[in-house]
Amino acid sequence: MDPVIKIRVEELTFRYGTRTVLRDVNAVFFEGALTAVVGPSGRGKSTFLMALNRLWEEVPGADARGRVWVRLDGNERLVSDPSFPVTELRRRVAMVFQVPNPLPMSIFKNVAFPLKVMGLRDKAVAAEVVEDALRRAFLWDEVKDRLREDARLLSGGQQQRLCIARALAAQPDVLLLDEPTSSLDARAAGIIEELLLTLKGRCTLVVVSHYLEQVERLADQVYEVADETLQLVS
Amino acid sequence: MKRGCWERAVRCGCYAAGFWVVSGAVAVVGFAVRQGAPHVTPKLLFGGVSAREALFGGAPVFDGLWPAVVGTFYLVAGAVALAAPLGLATGIYLAEFSRGRLKEVLTVFFDVLAGVPSVVVGLFGFSVSLLLHKMVSPRLGPCLLVAAFSLMILVLPYVIRATQSALEGVPQEVRITALSLGADPVQNLAWVLIPHSFRGIASGLLLAVGRCAEDTAVILLTGVVVTAGVPRSLLDPFEALPFYIYYVSTQYASPEELERGFGAALILLGVSVSLFAVAYAVRRAVGHWALYRA
Repeated sequence: MDPVIKIRVEELTFRYGTRTVLRDVNAVFFEGALTAVVGPSGRGKSTFLMALNRLWEEVPGADARGRVWVRLDGNERLVSDPSFPVTELRRRVAMVFQVPNPLPMSIFKNVAFPLKVMGLRDKAVAAEVVEDALRRAFLWDEVKDRLREDARLLSGGQQQRLCIARALAAQPDVLLLDEPTSSLDARAAGIIEELLLTLKGRCTLVVVSHYLEQVERLADQVYEVADETLQLVS
Repeated sequence: MKRGCWERAVRCGCYAAGFWVVSGAVAVVGFAVRQGAPHVTPKLLFGGVSAREALFGGAPVFDGLWPAVVGTFYLVAGAVALAAPLGLATGIYLAEFSRGRLKEVLTVFFDVLAGVPSVVVGLFGFSVSLLLHKMVSPRLGPCLLVAAFSLMILVLPYVIRATQSALEGVPQEVRITALSLGADPVQNLAWVLIPHSFRGIASGLLLAVGRCAEDTAVILLTGVVVTAGVPRSLLDPFEALPFYIYYVSTQYASPEELERGFGAALILLGVSVSLFAVAYAVRRAVGHWALYRA
């Protein structure tokens, strides 16, 4: 059976003001696979991720043209379709940033945040989802006794796993990760890599990275950013 | 060597400036305490009536400062209650929704409003009360409500600009965190941006509280009087401490009367400090609550 295409990008061009960062990008990402996007810094890898969940719209001066489709519930949907709410898109195509960004609130509230956004009020259900997300992010055993503590007191690696747990809490179809290990030490990075391998299959992963060994260990498919576009390497 | 000299000189200059400011403040407060403390007695506050009767029995106080203390509290509460919702909403609009030319014009406009002398604001309030008197009812005139309304205009720019700059100071990565998790702009504002900038917003409100408690020029023209008793409604004239101090210091007929003025100054200082303490406590508690409530 052929792999199912989860995300399809056609003729994507991206500008910051007058500077073109990406030009006529075409790419596909397969369901349940981990695709790595590699390349030197400052060439538009992170920008590319923001085009997939329309987060670029929140960045002053950014402008994207082209088409991005995401397959959700069996249907391909154009992300820029006005009838497709951007809030729903971002819940289903979640994102983890390079620098861990816990919100200034407790560990529990951080992970439960996407549920609150969706309007879920049932505390018992929320507690269940939070526990499950923290377990999937390999963080439950370390924080289960301190869920009410300020999340910003966790170590860098724990904060990044917290952010992954928070992204997982909304049960996303796609998880975008922007250099998720670059601000961490080798041990913390190793844990995150292991975690990403367990997420493969259940979730479509797009990981920006510039560590080639990491990419070789993890990725099913690799794109490289070069000459303002994305080229399939393997 | 030369560099070292420069550094030392700059550091000494900064220390001297800091010391000068602190000693000035200490001198002013010390002077008020020295002159006023011996005269702050239950008699100064309540006159011939006992404190219990004045506080709980509703006995009118004729020759004490109690009505002025109550009047000042009402005035501050009223003005801040009017200014807070309007100022917060306007600040949020300027920071989050207004763009381009209109935003520039409005920002300059509120800066100008912040620079309007308070006596001009007082004159505006006076005109409003005249208008109400003529158009609505001859019973209306300068009163607590008009004074609070005028003070609101005076402090509105502080609240607006503090809210605006606190929100605009939220870093971009915090700003997009909740949005990347599927929050809509209103949720982002309510759950991330406002809690994140809460300290800055609260500082604007604190400034407003202080300004309302001390201003004399505005209330002078909008309803303060020498003797009114504890105000019974928003449409009554009222007494206030800053006006009493101004009145006594310009019109005193005997040294005893001036001493009462110093006592009033110390009481006003106490009222301001307690308002600040309450505001600080609220700021801390709300900050903690926003952070840890499940």
